[in-house]
Amino acid sequence: MFLRGIIFAALTLGAATTIRGATDEALDLESFRGKVVYLDFWASWCGPCRESFPWMNRIQSELADNGLVVIAVNVDRERAAAEQFLDSHPAQFRIVYDPQGKLPEKFGVRGMPTSFIIDRQGRVRSRHEGFFLKNRASLAQEVRALVLIR
Amino acid sequence: MPGPRFAQPTILLGLSLMLAGCSTLGVKPWQREILARPEMALTASPLDAAIDDHVYFSKEAASGGRSFGGGGCGCN
Amino acid sequence: MAASCALLTQAARSQTAENSEQPLQLDSALLYYKENAGRVQAIEPVVSLKKDFGDLRVLDGTLTIDTLSGATPNGALPAHKAQTFVGPSSRSLTPKPGTKTTFYTASPGSLPEDPRFSETRVAGDVAWTQPLGLDDTVSFGGHGSVEGDFDSAALHGGLSHSFNEKNTTLSAQISEEYDRIQARGGNPVPGSDYELYEHEGSQSKTVSGALVGVTQVLARNWLMDLNYTYDHSSGYLTDPYRILSVLDGAGNVSGYRYENRPDTRGRQSLYWVNKVALGPTVLDISYRRSKDSWGIGSDTVEAHVRIDLRRGMYLEPHARWYHQSAADFYNLYVSAAGPLPTFMSADPRLAALVGTTFGLKFAVEAGHKGEFSLRLEQYQQRPHDQSSGLPELQGLDLNPTLKAVIVQLGWHFDF
Repeated sequence: MFLRGIIFAALTLGAATTIRGATDEALDLESFRGKVVYLDFWASWCGPCRESFPWMNRIQSELADNGLVVIAVNVDRERAAAEQFLDSHPAQFRIVYDPQGKLPEKFGVRGMPTSFIIDRQGRVRSRHEGFFLKNRASLAQEVRALVLIR
Repeated sequence: MPGPRFAQPTILLGLSLMLAGCSTLGVKPWQREILARPEMALTASPLDAAIDDHVYFSKEAASGGRSFGGGGCGCN
Repeated sequence: MAASCALLTQAARSQTAENSEQPLQLDSALLYYKENAGRVQAIEPVVSLKKDFGDLRVLDGTLTIDTLSGATPNGALPAHKAQTFVGPSSRSLTPKPGTKTTFYTASPGSLPEDPRFSETRVAGDVAWTQPLGLDDTVSFGGHGSVEGDFDSAALHGGLSHSFNEKNTTLSAQISEEYDRIQARGGNPVPGSDYELYEHEGSQSKTVSGALVGVTQVLARNWLMDLNYTYDHSSGYLTDPYRILSVLDGAGNVSGYRYENRPDTRGRQSLYWVNKVALGPTVLDISYRRSKDSWGIGSDTVEAHVRIDLRRGMYLEPHARWYHQSAADFYNLYVSAAGPLPTFMSADPRLAALVGTTFGLKFAVEAGHKGEFSLRLEQYQQRPHDQSSGLPELQGLDLNPTLKAVIVQLGWHFDF
């Protein structure tokens, strides 16, 4: 029932979510239909995010050709803090800035960091609260399974 | 001496905060940038606190009181 | 599929090599403590190491070494005549042949003080913390200390549960401590006559404690914590080195008695702390109310203000005000007339007193991952009862104000 709630939220979101990114590119989740999206919410002050970035870099480079798009939404109030984080943890994936927290609000984020795995039809297949070193392998398997099955 | 007279309203305040906590008090998980600062930890300088506790323990009759949970970035 | 699986496991393995950002943290300090009037002086190095095993699993270890020297008041009152006392270590249940008895004298008008020679204490603490699911944390640890006349061992464990999007955290902790007291010269029989020298062998005491607390995020910049603590001590709670002067109606000394405290003590505390960030400045304000079964009630108000000086430096002024009421059985002296009270003590730590502290800490970043700090504190403890109406005690400071200075050098480093 809870999952249905998320799926519903994601579907309604898909239609209306457009936010400005770093380079003024609008983030329209609808436009990613046909791709698997790994949507991550992060902040410069979030300790586990220092671990998630190298992992997201790896998974993005591994599966980019298979249609995986990693999108990391930053929720820092100060852009400078986010950029300082990116200086020491470079990202080879898409970064979107949401300082007012509209996206995490809509997705019902309950903890930092949180990631959502969205399939090619735009449905949220799973959410992961927190980023744990011990779960990196199983998380990668989950993403790979979704990307590689046709 | 204020004794139990002071303790009771304070405990009630604590309990009502606990219950109220379920509704309106607090911040969104993505609004913890200030709370995540190391100086905002409940015991920001644990060594200073331990040294002070030791000094006051050997010179006064009361002691301790601190604990260990909550606050911070709320991550993981 | 199989190829990519193998690739990932390899990636995962190499990842553990380039693991957490801050795997090891060092926190160290060198403390210098000095009281006025030739009293206690201590030098204390402390080293603490914290290892982060990733995913909020942390191992903490601390080593403290304490070297104490200087005189301690023995509980007897000053008098207009000189007073002589036996040094405790020269007293023994089984005196070795040829052992010389040492004495110390309090000159007329001065507070009798036992001139202890250097004592060293070594203490160690270890604690492990880890998550239990997404919302809970568990921790447990141990503590031990040894010194010439006192050994202590303790265990503690705690659990905390967060809810309401981690805005509220409930904590509970229990602890159990066992202490062994082997005073130099033997543990005196509480309340016994100083001259008769009734001593007994090794004594012990246990302390059981429990804490429940709630931490609540009140605003983006405001956090509070409220804790209730109860601890119960039982066993030999008397200070083996303290005596009381036995005085006649005019205030002349007719003898001395060892102090006698009850063999149980229950204590309750309520501690409330608020942390508020106002821009780069952080205020830490706390209040503690405590009451025990010996009749001692206390209030503590404390504030720290962390002022950011930029360029990696900060200044932190500190102020503390402490007030306690006397224990039911506390007295400056014991009267020779009438029956001896069941429980009695002239220990200034059980007296009605006010303690005030003013301090300042200065810290500066040392390189990318370290911090040096200097902390200066001044403590003043003023007992409530410092004089008496008895004729022979006129003009004497019966319970002098204590003044102490703390100088602490600190070094923090992230490996």
